[in-house]
Amino acid sequence: MTAKLSRLSFLALPLAATMAFGAATAQADDWEPTSSVEFIAPANPGGGWDTLVRTTSRVIQEEGLAERNFAAINTPGGGGAVAWAQIARDAGNPHKIFATSPPIILVPLAGTSRYDHTDFTPIARLITDYSIVLVPADSEYESLNDLMEAMAEDASLSVGGGSAPGSMDHISIAGLASAAGLNASDVNYIPFSGGGEAMTNLMGGHVEAVITGAGEAAGQLGEDSDIRALGVSAPERLGGSLADIPTYLEQDIDYTFDIWRGVMGTPDMPEEAVSYYENLFAEMLETDGWVEARDQLGWLDAYQDSEEFGAFLDEQKELFSEVLSELGLLGD
Amino acid sequence: MEAFNNLMYGFGIALEPMNIAYVFFGVFAGTIIGMLPGLGPISALALMIPITFAMEPSSGLILMAGVYYGAIFGGSTSSILLNAPGVAGTVATSFDGYPMAKQGMAGKALAIAAYSSFIGGTVSIIFLMLVAPMLGRVAVSFGPAEYFALMVLGLTAVVSLSDKSLVKGLIAAVIGVMISIIGIDLQTGTERYTFGSAHLLDGIDFLVVALGIFALAEVFYMLLRGGGGKEQPRNAIGSLKLSGKECRAIAAPIGRSSILGFFTGVLPGAGATIGSFLGYSMEKRLAKDGDTFGKGNIKGVAAPEAANNAACTGSFVPLLTLGVPGSGTTAVLLGALLVMGVTPGPAMIESRPDVFWGVIASMYLGNIFLLVLNLPLIPLIAKILDMPRPLLLSLILIFCMIGVYGMSFSVFDLLLLLAFGLIGLGMRLFGFPAAPLILALILGDIMEESMRRALQISGGDWSIFIDKPISMWLLIIAALSLILPLVKKAIAGARA
Repeated sequence: MTAKLSRLSFLALPLAATMAFGAATAQADDWEPTSSVEFIAPANPGGGWDTLVRTTSRVIQEEGLAERNFAAINTPGGGGAVAWAQIARDAGNPHKIFATSPPIILVPLAGTSRYDHTDFTPIARLITDYSIVLVPADSEYESLNDLMEAMAEDASLSVGGGSAPGSMDHISIAGLASAAGLNASDVNYIPFSGGGEAMTNLMGGHVEAVITGAGEAAGQLGEDSDIRALGVSAPERLGGSLADIPTYLEQDIDYTFDIWRGVMGTPDMPEEAVSYYENLFAEMLETDGWVEARDQLGWLDAYQDSEEFGAFLDEQKELFSEVLSELGLLGD
Repeated sequence: MEAFNNLMYGFGIALEPMNIAYVFFGVFAGTIIGMLPGLGPISALALMIPITFAMEPSSGLILMAGVYYGAIFGGSTSSILLNAPGVAGTVATSFDGYPMAKQGMAGKALAIAAYSSFIGGTVSIIFLMLVAPMLGRVAVSFGPAEYFALMVLGLTAVVSLSDKSLVKGLIAAVIGVMISIIGIDLQTGTERYTFGSAHLLDGIDFLVVALGIFALAEVFYMLLRGGGGKEQPRNAIGSLKLSGKECRAIAAPIGRSSILGFFTGVLPGAGATIGSFLGYSMEKRLAKDGDTFGKGNIKGVAAPEAANNAACTGSFVPLLTLGVPGSGTTAVLLGALLVMGVTPGPAMIESRPDVFWGVIASMYLGNIFLLVLNLPLIPLIAKILDMPRPLLLSLILIFCMIGVYGMSFSVFDLLLLLAFGLIGLGMRLFGFPAAPLILALILGDIMEESMRRALQISGGDWSIFIDKPISMWLLIIAALSLILPLVKKAIAGARA
C-alpha cells in the first residue's frame, strides 16, 4: 500500500508542480520576447524620454521582471519624427517599443511628422507630470488671477517656457489663458531650449513668468528660493515640496493639463505581445525599485492599459487641435 | 579660511580609497572617450548613469565629473595629431596644434596641451571654490540680450581667424551661419533649408561639419598633393621638453585664457567652445608674433587648451549653485544627481556639503591624475604619425566615419560628412579659411535665437540691446575690437 501510494505521489508531484507553474504563468505565458527588446528613446540622452527608457529598463532588469534584456536606444531627430519614421517601417515587430508623450500628437499636428499616434500600437500610459506657473520671488503677482489680469492688460508680458511654440509648455499656458477668459494667442510666449534655461531667465528677471514641468521645478522651490509658484495644472494638490501650491481649479480657473508619458509599440504589434508588455509595466509599477526611482524623479503613476491609453490619446488629440487652431499653429 | 576648512572636509571625502579609485577611473575613461570622436562626454555620461545608481551621490558625481573634464583634457589629442576635433571645445586647438604636428613637434604640442589643460583646470577649480556661490548671480544676469551681445563679440574673432583675405573669411563665416540655420526654427516651428528631409529637422551636427572640413578635407588634400603615398611620411614626434623661453612665452596666455575660460564656462550655454575661440583670438591679437598663429605657434595651443578646461570646470557653477544645467553635458549630470536623490540648487552647499566639496576636492586630484596619466602616454599615442601615409589616411577616414556614425547611427550623416569633406577641400584649394565657418556655425544659432527672444520680450524694440549695461559693454568691446586694428593699420600706413 505504502509502495503504491509513494508511486502515485511520485507521479502526482511533478504533475501538480507543472499545473501550478502553468497556472501562475498562464497570463504572460502566451508570448515572451525571444530576443532582446529594443526600447527606443526618440531623442538624445538626458531628456524626458531618455530618462523614462533608462529608468524603466533598469527597474525591469533589477527586479528580474523579464528574461530578456531591454536595450535602451537613442534615436534623436526632428523632435521624435526620425525615430517614428523608422519604427513605422517595422510593422508587426514585437521586439521594438518606444517612450512617448504629448509630442507624438503635437509634432504631427504642427505638420513636421508624417506619422502620428494612430500609426502605432498603444501599450500603456505610465506616469504623468503637471505644468507649474512660476514668477520671481519678489514679483507683484500673488495669484494666478493677478497674472492673468496683467496679461489681459499688457499683451507684451513675457512668459517663458521650455519648449518650442506649439509644443507642450506653450499649449499648456495658452489653454490656461483661454480658460481664464483671455485669447490663447494673446500670450507672449518666449520659447527656451529647456525648462532649466527658462528658469534661469526667470531668476535673472529677463522674463516675467515661466511655465514648465512641476517635477523639474520642484528642486528650485523652497524657503530661500528666488522663484515662487502660482499654480499647478493638476486636478488635486501635489505632494512633497509642492504641497503648498494651489491648483488652477482652486483659483477658479477650470483647466487641468497633464504631461503624460507612456510606451507604444510598432504598428500592428501582435496582441499577445501587447498584453505581455502591458502586464510587464503594470507589474513594474508595483515594485519598490520603481517607487523609489519615481519619487526621486518627481513622477506620479498614471497607469492606463493599451485600450484606455488609445482612447486617451484620441481625446488629447482633439484637445490639442483646439488650442493649436486658436493659436493659428495648426499645420497642414 | 572657511573655504580652506571646507576644502579640507572635501578632501576627506575625495581621499576615501573608493573615491580615489572613482576619480582615477573617471578621468581615465574620460581621456579615452575624449580621444575618440563621436563618443562625446554627453553620451558617455548617459551610459554611466546606470553604474552610478547604486553609489553614494558624492562618489557618483566625482566619477561623472571626472569623465567630463577628462574628455575635454583628452579631446586635444585627435585635434593635434589628426586635425580631427572630437569635441567642439577642442576645435581651436587644431589651428596651431596640427601645424605643429606636421612640423615634427607633435610631442611638444601634446605636452603643451596637457600642461595648459592642467593649469586651466586647476585655476578654474580655485575660482569655483572661492567664488561659486556669488557667481550664481552673474550666471543669471545673462538673458537673451546679453547672450546676443556675447555672440557678436565671439564672432568678431572671425577677423583674427581669417589671415590672408578678410573677405574670404567673412564669406566662410556667412556660410557657417547659414548651416547653423538648417532645421526647425525654435521660435516659429518653421522648417528652414530642410528640403523636406526628416534628417535635417534638427539641423546638422557640429561634429559632422568639423570632421568633414578639417579632417576629411585634409585627407583629400594630401591625396591630391601627395599622389597617394609617394611622399615620405614626416614621422618625427619630437621632444616633449619645453625650453625656459617657451615656458615664459606660454605662461601669460595660459593665465589669461584660464580666467577667461572660467567666466565663459559659468554662463549657461556659452561653455568650452566659445571660451576656447575667445582665448585663441585674444592671444592672437595680444601676441607680438600674432601673424604666426595658425602656422604652429605654441601660444595658439596653450590658450584654447587652458580656456576649454577652465570653462568645463566653470560650467559646474550654475549646476551646483543654481541647479540649472549650463550645457548639454551638465544637463545629463543634473539628471543623474536627481536620480541619486540629490537636488542641486541654492540649498545644496548647506544640505549636501559632502557632494559639493567632495566634488571640488576630487577635481584637484583628477587634474593631477590627468597630467600624470597623459604625459607618459604622449610618445605612445603620437606614434600614430609614424604610420606609413596610406595607413594613416585610411585610419583618419575610418576614425571620422565611426565618429559620425556612432553619434547618430545615420547613413545620411555619413553622406553629409563626405559632402563637407569635399566642401572643405574646395575651400582649401581656393584659399578660404575653415575656422571662421566653424566658429560661425557654433555661434550662429545661439546668436539668432537670443536676438529674436530679446526682441520678442521687448516687443520689437531694438534699444533692449543698449539699455542693458552688460549687453551694451559687450557690444562696445566688439565694436572696438573691429575698429582698433583698422585704426592701427591707418596709423602705421600714415607713418610709412
